[in-house]
Amino acid sequence: MADWINILLKAFWCGSAAVGFGILFNVAKENLIVVMLGGFIVGLIKFSALKYVSPSIVLASFLAALVMGIYSMIIAQIRHEPLMTYATPSVIPLVPGVFAYRTMFGLIKLSSAAGDEYSRILSDTARNGALTLFIILSFVLGIIIPYQIGKDISRKIVKKGMV
Amino acid sequence: MEGKSPNRLNESDAFGALLLDIGISLMQAGANNSRIKITMADLAAVYHYEPDITIGSGSVSLILRDEDGNTLFSNIRSTSVHGINFSIISGLSRLSWSAEKNNWSQVELKKNFLECRKPAYYPRLTILFFVSLAGAAFCYTFGGGYIEMAITFIATFCGLFVKQQLTRSNFNTYFCTYAAAAVASMFVGLFEGAGILTVSPINAFSTCVLFLIPGVLLINSFIDLLDGNTISGIVKGVNALIHTLAIALGLLTTIIILNLKG
Repeated sequence: MADWINILLKAFWCGSAAVGFGILFNVAKENLIVVMLGGFIVGLIKFSALKYVSPSIVLASFLAALVMGIYSMIIAQIRHEPLMTYATPSVIPLVPGVFAYRTMFGLIKLSSAAGDEYSRILSDTARNGALTLFIILSFVLGIIIPYQIGKDISRKIVKKGMV
Repeated sequence: MEGKSPNRLNESDAFGALLLDIGISLMQAGANNSRIKITMADLAAVYHYEPDITIGSGSVSLILRDEDGNTLFSNIRSTSVHGINFSIISGLSRLSWSAEKNNWSQVELKKNFLECRKPAYYPRLTILFFVSLAGAAFCYTFGGGYIEMAITFIATFCGLFVKQQLTRSNFNTYFCTYAAAAVASMFVGLFEGAGILTVSPINAFSTCVLFLIPGVLLINSFIDLLDGNTISGIVKGVNALIHTLAIALGLLTTIIILNLKG
């Protein structure tokens, strides 16, 4: 399968995942299409960045979340809604489930391993744990940076209006 | 306060109580502290009050003053119910904008608030179907095949169903998360044990419990910490951590019972 078709397919499924979480969080029906598009953008940026920019999943997750944060901020301003309504379900596809699972499974195996096996499992588990932590941090910060900047801009606009 | 008419005091009592109701409803719907403060302060400004709002991990306190600095209302309200409902957050956040635009009286504001507080919920089957589809979608993005996706779909469906049932029976929220993770992963484990899967179901295993990840809590925790609401941020962060541990414990239970090799 061509790379770009694979990226588009994954982006589509990220959009579907975002809709699922939108429904779980009881996002209003009229906002679900925005959430789906958000999830699609997140998938598109993440997998494109992994393929064409850098193999670092931390960087790819950060870029995807940052773009998602900006997208949510713009839509939130237009629709007079909180940014989190759009941003939270859309970034859920960035949750590093596999790395978290491997970390947890490694910790379980550590309890019965010995010798060289122990060192190998320990190093794998530490790597997966660090990746899990940094991916979570990267997508949370990616969302929060535009949120904070947007809030500061709004405050300045309100202050200017008062003067 | 001496110079204020009884009407003004009654009005501010009613408005203060309404504002606290709005704050508590936002908290129960999973809004971060900043969102609660902004919504309450904007509404108070629309009706020409100056508020002092303090938000704890499960409480909202409010002092309302008039333009001259006289205290008109002071009260605190707390809640132990916490969930996630973005429709309520959206509706309540729009209240101040609508109140200003439509020049609502306080009675109209209260009527609209009560309408926002009871939004339409998706039917249970719709939630189960779409969240399960989300689980299958995750499985694909993590590299799973179509058989793994189908297994993840059913596993997520079972896990979420169990969580909904336990939540309805008022079980401890962490126990609900643990039981849901155990049931969902057990389902995948049984498929592997039955020899239906030719490859290791690592993708199905790790994605069938993703619907339990406390993403909202985690993001709210960081927002609160960055906003300077340190205690609230830590409380939410610890809450998210316990949920994550409950998920890990659920997976661990399955791995030990079915003696899976990973």
